Amino acid sequence: MTGRAVRTHMVARCATALVGGYAAAAGIASLIARLLPVPRVEATAWGMILSFLIYACFGLWAFHQPRLSVVAAVIWGSAALSIAALFLLGVRA
Amino acid sequence: MKGNGVRQSMAWIHGWLGLIAGWILFAMFLTGTASYFRPEITRWMQPELAATPVSPDRAAQSAVDHLQAISPDDELWSLFLPDDRTHATRIFSRARANPDPDAPPPPRRPELRLDPATGQPLTARETKGGEHFYRFHFQLQIPHPWGRWLAGLCAIFMLGAIISGVITHKRIFVDFFMLRWNKGQRSWLDAHNVSAVLALPFHAMITYTGLITLVLMYMPWPITANYAEPAAFHAEAFGEDPEVEPSGRHVPLVPIAPLVRAASAEWQGGRASRVFIHNPNDATATVTIVRHGADTLNARSASITYSGADGRRLSASPAQGAGLATAGVMLGLHVGWFAGPALRWTYFLLGLTGTTMVGTGLLLWTAKRRKGATPFFGFRLVERLNIGAIACLPAGMAAFLLANRLIPANMAGRADMEVAAMFWTWFGLAALSLLRPARRAWTQCLTIAAVAFAAVPLVNALTTDRGLPESLVTGDGLFIGFDLAMIAIATLLGFGAWRASRVPAVITRKRTARPPVLSPAPEMADAA
Repeated sequence: MTGRAVRTHMVARCATALVGGYAAAAGIASLIARLLPVPRVEATAWGMILSFLIYACFGLWAFHQPRLSVVAAVIWGSAALSIAALFLLGVRA
Repeated sequence: MKGNGVRQSMAWIHGWLGLIAGWILFAMFLTGTASYFRPEITRWMQPELAATPVSPDRAAQSAVDHLQAISPDDELWSLFLPDDRTHATRIFSRARANPDPDAPPPPRRPELRLDPATGQPLTARETKGGEHFYRFHFQLQIPHPWGRWLAGLCAIFMLGAIISGVITHKRIFVDFFMLRWNKGQRSWLDAHNVSAVLALPFHAMITYTGLITLVLMYMPWPITANYAEPAAFHAEAFGEDPEVEPSGRHVPLVPIAPLVRAASAEWQGGRASRVFIHNPNDATATVTIVRHGADTLNARSASITYSGADGRRLSASPAQGAGLATAGVMLGLHVGWFAGPALRWTYFLLGLTGTTMVGTGLLLWTAKRRKGATPFFGFRLVERLNIGAIACLPAGMAAFLLANRLIPANMAGRADMEVAAMFWTWFGLAALSLLRPARRAWTQCLTIAAVAFAAVPLVNALTTDRGLPESLVTGDGLFIGFDLAMIAIATLLGFGAWRASRVPAVITRKRTARPPVLSPAPEMADAA
């Protein structure tokens, strides 16, 4: 790869880790909050507590997996799927 | 970036996370550590105030009596009651908005500080006190909300750095016993490892719980997944906010002291720390009393709400389930209100260990890249930023304390001048240090910081009647402790300056048999 391609890849990887990782963590934490079979106030607390751990794991993994396409697919995919699921489920009654 | 193994990739990301966030994290750790003594710093910064311990119920009543005299028709009175560490009642009151929608909103009133015994405004020098370090450690003196977001970003970097650091460092408990002095890069690596491993549970805890303190801002999405209105979550989790429209029917507020005593009795002697009075002197008035955070590990304290018109008990905050209690305990672990003096000093020392971990990590980055090749731009940048953060921030903090004693006590705007003194000293010294070669800059900035801290007890003795001799005679534990802490910090910084000035010591040790890759260049010691 040329120097420019390397740089573009690195920028994409950082953006995926930072922004995509946040979106995926927010989506999955919210899904936990939405689906955990405990009172909603409790489930909300657990979702918020776990969110930063999920974010950190996505962020670190983004720099471990050598293939950027895999990183992007998994992180942006998790974000899109979890957020889509939340929209389909709607707010807890 | 990526080796084959997980340890290589984690080492790579650990280095970058630490480098990018390191300087801000260093400042957050150091000022956050100082914040464990927030009330004590505030008391030191108002030396003209004498301590008169007053029970919470009496302090609440005296404050309400004062508010009845000055603004009986407000919308909200918030009272922060004194305890064994603070000696003033802090009041925030909010005027009722003009019913005319075109009228400008009533101006925000400044905080009012009262003598708990008399309910009269305290006359002491204007200062931000320990509150300044506390606010800075998560707001970074950047306008809201950007400072909090930047602090949160640095905290998540810290969390990533801790996890990747642990994975990188597989021999974690072997290296615990390895601190090789005077070995250049190897010593910095050892110091970094020892300070990190020694207090690893603390670092992981303080970083994660730090994120939790602002979770409602950083990660509100789980709430939106479950609640159409975020306010409903707050009500379910922490109790109703009894904000109701006033009826307009005047009913004098009931005496407040019996309510505070009733709440305390319901908590089996737990103390009240905050009182919120909505619509005072109206038929709809409510009095919400919040329990002191120091009573329990969970910092999300219980509260009880009474009617302000007849004193009836209306409601109490709901019992917390496991999840909310976990979040509350995490908050409590971060702020450490529950900690008594011994545990608070432990917190303080562990916080310094965290500061050391971040600082030595930054120094390790330069020590690793110093040998051989001519320093490249990035190297110089990192080295200069290291000096600016590690050696110059302490000088700025000392300047904040010195400014408190040197700016005339009745000067207008002096609180902001104290804050300005910290930043001018910090960044001014960092800018001046660019004029010196790096090694000299280390020695000289650390020396200036040491002298500034050593000057604090002297200036205190010269400008107040609470110098060390007087404090020893009167047995004033707070002022004795403060002076001794300043001397200890000055000694530590002086030791750092002395080590930084000792280059030849490392050269003489170069003869010891070691693989050439690890042998330090002569300038290595400049970070020592």
